[in-house]
Amino acid sequence: MRKATQLAGALCLLVASVSGMAASVLAAPPPERYLHVKVEDAKEGESVNVNLPLSIAEKILPTVNKGELRDGHVTINKSDLDGIDVKGLLDAIRTAPDNEFVTVKQKDEDVRIAKSNGNLIVHVRSTGQEKQNVDITIPLKVVDALFSTAKDNELNIVAALHELSDAGDALLVTVQDASQHVRVWVDSKSSSD
Amino acid sequence: MVLLGKIALGITGTMLAGVGAICSQGMIEVNVVERQPEVHHVYVIAPAMLVPIVTHFIPRHDLGDASQQLRPYMPTIRAALDQLQETEDFVMVDVKDRKQHVEVQKIGGSLVIDVKDENETVHVETPVRMISSTLEQLADKESATAD
Repeated sequence: MRKATQLAGALCLLVASVSGMAASVLAAPPPERYLHVKVEDAKEGESVNVNLPLSIAEKILPTVNKGELRDGHVTINKSDLDGIDVKGLLDAIRTAPDNEFVTVKQKDEDVRIAKSNGNLIVHVRSTGQEKQNVDITIPLKVVDALFSTAKDNELNIVAALHELSDAGDALLVTVQDASQHVRVWVDSKSSSD
Repeated sequence: MVLLGKIALGITGTMLAGVGAICSQGMIEVNVVERQPEVHHVYVIAPAMLVPIVTHFIPRHDLGDASQQLRPYMPTIRAALDQLQETEDFVMVDVKDRKQHVEVQKIGGSLVIDVKDENETVHVETPVRMISSTLEQLADKESATAD
């Protein structure tokens, strides 16, 4: 009987310590997410790295009221979206299976727009005099957040940043030309190394 | 004799408390090493708390339009600096070319700027809280003028 009490006590202690550890893990704040921009110019031997905590960007943007940017929203010229049901278009893309939606092949430029693994992907290959490759990968959740405002001609940048900070590590943009290489990505590292 | 000892103890205690209070906001550190044409070394370390106090005594007319120009940006600056104090250490900007290396980092509670080139090295370290209170002082000066 005494042994059983001791065993029950030990079990209670174990459960308490495990639940305590779990609570401390759950209570820990999520790691800071950073938006990194890296520009490298091999010809000039230059490199520029900018690392911005997304939490700072989220706090700053609503305070900026200049030009088209107001309270964290960017207003698009209505004529640019004339006749386009952006939300309907996004809904169609979201519900469609992974696929290549647009392929444009020109003499010196190829453009591809596709959906893959919950991301909207844009590839541009320029093969003319100025060779340039542009790859853009944006999680669809971020695109949805971007167009989450009531108005059709507004982009909700703060909501998009918030969604971006919840998304996993992602390479968002790469641009490569003859000498320059630009990369924009999101991860939890405080430097771009 | 005992009275003198008590007075000395009181003065020393007050001085120590004063120094502690002055240093409570951290220190500003400026280190400039110039190598060419002559070698110069400037090293200044001062309590950060003095800067907003000194700013308070700058005559309004000497500030010109600085306060007026600063004021519209204060909500953004305030949001940025408040959040900056809460974030962990990180490298904000890192620019390298063949001759120069510029780095802006947040280390501890300070903003650290390092510039290195062939001829000189500059290191500036300022507590974020000091930047915040100094800019608040400057913006307030404008509102005092406007009143």
